Amino acid sequence: MGLETHLSNSGVVTTTLESMVNWSRKNSVWPLLFGLACCAIEMITTGSARHDIARFGSELFRGSPRQADLMIVAGRVSNKMAPVIKRLYDQMAEPKWVIAMGICASAGGPFNNYAIVQGVDKIIPVDVYVPGCPPRPEALLYALTQLQAKIGREHLTDHLVTPPILQLPPAPALPRLPE
Amino acid sequence: MTDPIAAVRSAFPDAVRASAVYRQTPILTLQAADLLAVGRFLRDTPELGYDLLSDLTVVDRLRLPQAQDEARFAGIYQLRSVARGGDLLQLTVPLPGGDAPVAPSVTGLWPTADWHEREAFDLFGVRYEGHPDLRRILMPDDWPTHPLRKDQPLGGERVPYTNTWAEEEFQHLGKQIMQTDQRPEPVPGRMDARHMIVNMGPQHPATHGVLRLIVELDGERIIGIQPDIGYLHSGFEKQGENIRYKDFVYYTDRMDYVSAMQNNLAYCLAVEKLLGIEAPPRAQAIRVIVCELQRIASHLVWLATHTLDVGGTGLALLMYAFREREEILDLFEMVCGARLTTSYLRVGGVSHDLPPAFIPRLRDLLARLPGRFDEYERMLSGSPLWRGRLMGIGKITAAQAIAWGVTGPLLRGAGVPYDLRKAQPYCGYEQYDFSIPVQSEGDSYARYLVRMAEMRQSLRIIQQAVDALPAGHFWIDDPKIAPPARGLLDQSMEALIHHFKLFTEGFRPPPGQAYHGIEASKGEMGVFLVSDGSAHPYRCRVRTPSFVNLQVTELMAKGHLFSDLVTVIGTIDIVLGDVDR
Repeated sequence: MGLETHLSNSGVVTTTLESMVNWSRKNSVWPLLFGLACCAIEMITTGSARHDIARFGSELFRGSPRQADLMIVAGRVSNKMAPVIKRLYDQMAEPKWVIAMGICASAGGPFNNYAIVQGVDKIIPVDVYVPGCPPRPEALLYALTQLQAKIGREHLTDHLVTPPILQLPPAPALPRLPE
Repeated sequence: MTDPIAAVRSAFPDAVRASAVYRQTPILTLQAADLLAVGRFLRDTPELGYDLLSDLTVVDRLRLPQAQDEARFAGIYQLRSVARGGDLLQLTVPLPGGDAPVAPSVTGLWPTADWHEREAFDLFGVRYEGHPDLRRILMPDDWPTHPLRKDQPLGGERVPYTNTWAEEEFQHLGKQIMQTDQRPEPVPGRMDARHMIVNMGPQHPATHGVLRLIVELDGERIIGIQPDIGYLHSGFEKQGENIRYKDFVYYTDRMDYVSAMQNNLAYCLAVEKLLGIEAPPRAQAIRVIVCELQRIASHLVWLATHTLDVGGTGLALLMYAFREREEILDLFEMVCGARLTTSYLRVGGVSHDLPPAFIPRLRDLLARLPGRFDEYERMLSGSPLWRGRLMGIGKITAAQAIAWGVTGPLLRGAGVPYDLRKAQPYCGYEQYDFSIPVQSEGDSYARYLVRMAEMRQSLRIIQQAVDALPAGHFWIDDPKIAPPARGLLDQSMEALIHHFKLFTEGFRPPPGQAYHGIEASKGEMGVFLVSDGSAHPYRCRVRTPSFVNLQVTELMAKGHLFSDLVTVIGTIDIVLGDVDR
């Protein structure tokens, strides 16, 4: 057979860089410590003893967006809060993912009125939507595993920030030769 | 007992334009020019003593056919007398100025009016003369309209029911990134730019939600605080005015979302007062059981987050308190299928009877909880860290608390034995034997002791309610208000018609108004409804305890270290859904 049969005897595993990076990323998704409304209480419950989000490697809720990989938008997004959420999202480092938890964050929910933004996807991109009002902790855990599956399928180039293309000034038009 | 209407009529013969007693609540209609003089009389006359301004709101009577005078806006003031057992008096003040109403500010009489008047200015555009700092409170500063006026639409978006991914509307999903505003914030008014000004929130682990505090510091000492709220303003009141009475029950869950049952109760009792009905005895007892369970669950959330913020036990108490809370949520799930947003209470009763397995499981929990509470107290009461960070922090006196409209454990921690369950009993609370825990120190530690004792008192009430649970209906036997039993629908044409009418049209309370306040886990939760005889409330106002209690943050934290601000926020026990509505 190939090289791997010899290597396994000496404690070496071959893999691709991509699957190794994805494996490490998806098993340590750190959420931003940030809740909006009712869903935030269920998010805390997901972190408590009975449901124990630590089983999926996501128990480290970070207070600073700089250290977080995942934004769980847990609750309704008001017009006053929307710019703040946008800024928090901008402050998170790549790669970053978003779960819209509950119907309010997904589509405005029962609050179709002047105060509430009809879904957080109007301001930031969303990876996983969780139905429910509020979703049970199990539903959030399922969303997290769905997100992990999604991360597992990613390519390294997906999160590359493309450098801005150098914009050259347009070439001066050549004088037209007389016919 | 002195009759407030007669007293005011004899002292100010010209000021009173009308008076009435509607559903046991005396209502005085005053001229705006006399409001301050009458208010001072009502507050300072010893035998009246209306020292607590429970609620202040405005009604826009543009589309109200029953309006008795030409003024478009009317100010509504709910006054209570703490010394006389929470006696309620409602003042109605038609505001001069037509579409740009003006009212005298009552902040000089009741300081708690500060935020209420700012809210009325924000949502209705009422200009309060003499208010120290009249600006928007819930909506963004640059918001163009006053959304609760009746000529303003509900807003929102029309939701398409059929769509394909090819439609243009979906092409920009995830791409329509808004530019964040990069302007530097100006220094807030009343703050000195030579001091250090720190912004805390709206995303901060210790603010218990989307609260923003602008703190002025001299070194580590707090000089001033300006809370900035409204980041979770969801338009509950406008929403309530656009749906039928029974449908708003489901919304109330989402205000104070850690005590949904009590929100349901406050709203249902207000509607029942408007209708002039009362729930059957079994429903009353079930309501008491679930609401007291909810009080324990809510206090457990307070305990968990407070200990997490302040320290002393690390994550341990959060895990323990949520373990007990889960057991209470399991019980809720048994009765209504939901954990958090229960919507279990209905106008005229509750939605389901208790399942047979509920009582044994509840008794089992009742037997275990006291031991768990003992365990918490062993962990905390002796802990030098816990005592050091709570004792003497966030002091408030009884007089300050009443002037600022503070209710609930904050008021009882300041030595005032005021509890609406005793003062103005509802749901048959007068049948149960329980005491009101009171501490006189007025600091954060006193409030900790009050809340721990309250949980034990709640256990006592539940025990008594379970032991004497009456038999009978769990929902009022009136087909105009409660749907007929499922079995009847197959046999009786009349039942089917009632069911159809109820769910397509709802019920229509007679024209009138009603305010009902209950003792929720955080203080007085009140709902004020104005009916114009249709199936929708004309005005739906919710007085939430967190909104009022949060006002005293500056008073409680001034002079303390910056790190104590976390203790103060935790001890007030706010829920932002309750603050912003």
